[in-house]
Parts: sequence; structure tokens; C-alpha cells
Amino acid sequence: MSEQTADAGAAKTPADFLKSIKGKQVVVKLNSGVDYRGVLACLDGYMNIAMEETEEYVNGQLKNKYGDAFIRGNNVLYISTVKDK
Amino acid sequence: MAEEDTTVKEPLDLIRLSLDERVYVKLRGDREIRGKLHAYDQHLNMILGDVEETITTVEIDDETYEEIVKTTKRAVRYLFVRGDAVTLVSPPLRT
Repeated sequence: MSEQTADAGAAKTPADFLKSIKGKQVVVKLNSGVDYRGVLACLDGYMNIAMEETEEYVNGQLKNKYGDAFIRGNNVLYISTVKDK
Repeated sequence: MAEEDTTVKEPLDLIRLSLDERVYVKLRGDREIRGKLHAYDQHLNMILGDVEETITTVEIDDETYEEIVKTTKRAVRYLFVRGDAVTLVSPPLRT
């Protein structure tokens, strides 16, 4: 297959990228350095994020797990996709 | 009146579905709060009831330079939380 329709790399703008990664396994890094790994449920214009099966990593160590998590957008440093486990 | 919409279309829906439930809120400055969510708005300003606040502080021992992690807890009957301090909100586990 030459076309990667499911690939987030096909996004043309940041907004397209964000749309394309819904339902995917992601890592969200906050300005504080804390990482959240989980499935991106949805997000809005403020970059508020709803995640499922979220794991919280502080200094690379698993610190917490949340079934659902709401992350306030102003704290977000980046959102990256990761390969499914 | 329409039935309560239980679908999550935008992140704030997750908060809406947690109204009148106990939620976990992570705040800036290593503060955590557990309490019953009475009200919230788009800024994530929140009114919580029967709150337990946990404050985590790390001190460095002057002589051994060891990190001493301390947690302080306090209980509050009602609490208004200003939204800009909020980093994460986790609803109770839904089954």
C-alpha cells in the first residue's frame, strides 16, 4: 500500500493533524514535564483534551492511571502519536 | 426536557457528565483535590463540596541533600477553584 490514509503525516495544517489523531494512542506532554499516555477521545479549540485509559508519567516513571482524564489546554506543550502497544 | 446527553463530543462533556459526582482535580503547584463537583464553567472554575486537598512539598535536607517528600492534607466543606490553576480533571470510574 502506497497510501497511508490513517497516517497523521497526511495532515496539511495543525488542525487537520489534531482531527486525524482522534481515537489514536497519543502522548501529551505538559509544560510541567509530565507525560500522559492514552487514547485521545476528543479535543477542542483551546486544546483541552479528553483522554481514555490514561497513564501519568513523571520523570519517565508511571505515577497514576485514570480511566478518563480531562487536560486543560493551556498546560499542553505537545501532542504526539505513538504506535499502538 | 430532553434526556441527558451522555455522549462525549468535546472535552468539557467529560466534566459535564461528572456533575454531582466525586472528581479528582490536579492543580498547579503540586496540589490535588478530591471532592463532589457541584458546578463548573468553561474556564474550569469549579465549586466542589466535601473537599480533601493534598499538597505535596519536596524539601532538600541541608546536610544530606536528600529529598524529603511531604504531603499535607486538609478538609474543606466548600471550595471555589479558579480555573487557571487546573491541569487535569478525572471523573469517577464509569461502569
